[in-house]
Amino acid sequence: MSRPRVLVILAVMAVTLLARAAAADPRPIVLVIHGGAGVIERARMTAPKEAAFRAGLEAALAAGYAVLEQGGSSLDAVTAAVRTMEDDPQFNAGRGAVLNHEGDAELDAAIMDGNGPHAGAVASVRHVKNPIELARLVMEKSPHVLLVGDGAEEFALGQGVVLVPRSYFRTAARERELEEARAAGPERATSPPATSPPATRHVTGTGQGSMGTVGAVALDRAGNLAAATSTGGLTNKMHGRVGDSPLIGAGTFADNESCAVSGTGQGEYFIREVVAHDVCARLRYRHLTLAAAVDEVIRKLQRSGGEGGVIALDRAGNVALDFNSAGMYRGVRDSRGRHEVGMYRGEKP
Amino acid sequence: MSQAAAVHAIAIHGGAGAVPRGLLSPARERALRAGLEVALDGGYAVLDHGGSALDAVATAVRLLEDDPCFNAGHGAALTRDGAAELDAAIMDGRQMRAGAVAAVRHIKNPIELARRVMEKSRHVLLVGAGAEEFALEEQFVLVPNSYFRTAERLEQLEAEQRGQRVSDLVPPAPQGTVGAVARDALGNLAAATSTGGMTNKRPGRVGDSPIVGAGTYAKNGVCAISATGHGEYFIRAVAAHHVCAAVEYRGLTLQQAMHELLHVILPALGGDGGLIGVDRDGRLVMDFSSEGMFRGARDAAGRREIAIY
Repeated sequence: MSRPRVLVILAVMAVTLLARAAAADPRPIVLVIHGGAGVIERARMTAPKEAAFRAGLEAALAAGYAVLEQGGSSLDAVTAAVRTMEDDPQFNAGRGAVLNHEGDAELDAAIMDGNGPHAGAVASVRHVKNPIELARLVMEKSPHVLLVGDGAEEFALGQGVVLVPRSYFRTAARERELEEARAAGPERATSPPATSPPATRHVTGTGQGSMGTVGAVALDRAGNLAAATSTGGLTNKMHGRVGDSPLIGAGTFADNESCAVSGTGQGEYFIREVVAHDVCARLRYRHLTLAAAVDEVIRKLQRSGGEGGVIALDRAGNVALDFNSAGMYRGVRDSRGRHEVGMYRGEKP
Repeated sequence: MSQAAAVHAIAIHGGAGAVPRGLLSPARERALRAGLEVALDGGYAVLDHGGSALDAVATAVRLLEDDPCFNAGHGAALTRDGAAELDAAIMDGRQMRAGAVAAVRHIKNPIELARRVMEKSRHVLLVGAGAEEFALEEQFVLVPNSYFRTAERLEQLEAEQRGQRVSDLVPPAPQGTVGAVARDALGNLAAATSTGGMTNKRPGRVGDSPIVGAGTYAKNGVCAISATGHGEYFIRAVAAHHVCAAVEYRGLTLQQAMHELLHVILPALGGDGGLIGVDRDGRLVMDFSSEGMFRGARDAAGRREIAIY
């Protein structure tokens, strides 16, 4: 073979390889998680705390991504990722959730399967170890979407879910935060309407602001999207207050026709702006890219005085994460080799 | 079903469902129509006197809550344990403010508590005992649960528990819900919805009515929507916000957007029901995919109608 000919063949091979790398994965698998947005700044963080948060995010990413890698569904992946964060007391969901005015954890969660779409949610439960699993049971074993309070726990018992005492959720750190919040002023029913941003008075000793929530969105090999969100809500919140997390369209949304979104932030703003559905509606009806849709919705949230962030994922595997708070605990892992966790502004992802 | 734009306008519904013609006795049909007229004219009077869209929808819904013919407030459908458990939401399209309550059992007019949540709390949605605690702090007088129970609803519950379809017996069907949308002379939009939910429902079940974006939504310059029907489907479709997004982002008319939701999107999911809406110019649209919807519309251009089928 002549030398130029070898070069041509080598060049063709190189181009082919490059093309293959670019289209590396025509059917990518992707998992995106968040562990809450809020006052997350380097100045407030210690090295061990930061390492612990990163480890917590890595554990959730690993649990969810393993499901996808083994060919599991996006629904199973988001459940696994959220359950892992619910069990981790650092995050405001499940064990270690923030405490309401009465000193109890009062938990909300939602899950949505973009293939259907189907959805399940629970709000204001106090004895369910993993609210995301109960939300999933509501979706799969009841004709309903949202069950609240004692009725939701009655349903849990009927499904063989073992209830746990309220003390299971309580941690020393959350008790301290509640005391600080109470000292700063009682949760007043007659405080000003939430058209102006509530003061960030729930700043906590753990470096996590008031807006902790955990969530995940995933895309599986079969091309199905799913979203899940779980939270303890606000420290010192009024008993019965429900935020955006368990509300389909507000804090959680997934539809194979558009995208999957999980939100975290000042829930009342997310409810009024129907944030999660709005991202997907802009993507679908205005033909924006996912990043542009998320950018618009976060800007709109900013204009209305609200604070928080979203993670979003479309069927092509495009990922968008954005927030207008100081930071957001977050992570991304996909089959194109992306594997990142972050918490501060300016960091990847 | 839409007409020329009007300065101020209001539409109401008293639930959608299986209402086969001929099943309603003449006396009952008269009572239902009279109830709709009272609510429609009550809400319209607020607008006519220069009142806000928010006051108009709150007034119309309160009147429907107080009328035992409709599934909201007094005469609400009963849960499987025989109690009334009520949900309501209100939204002000001017400031995009909203308030809602769910699973309350002792609030005479849930729509008034929803409004109080909007105006006096930092929150949007309060549920269960916590919502009632807030009501007490706001000087609401709680009523016993028996206030809501009527002989007819007990009969429906018993029939349902025997396995008979409630809708075969006494209308309004289990999907009954009440709601109102309005536009005032200043162009402000508002929506309100209130319900007892499904007959024989599991305690704690919350439908679309109190969920902003699902059963209730209002945004100035776009539209205001109140839904009634099989709530779970309306939640999954984020129905009310979906309609407004289709108007705002795709430039559909309100009528087109509502038609698509009710006759394309919801049937694909397996659900049915109805919607009432008002657009930025005061055009009222009422549409449904069920057999009937108790409804009424009135505007400053002289339209005034009450209909069931």
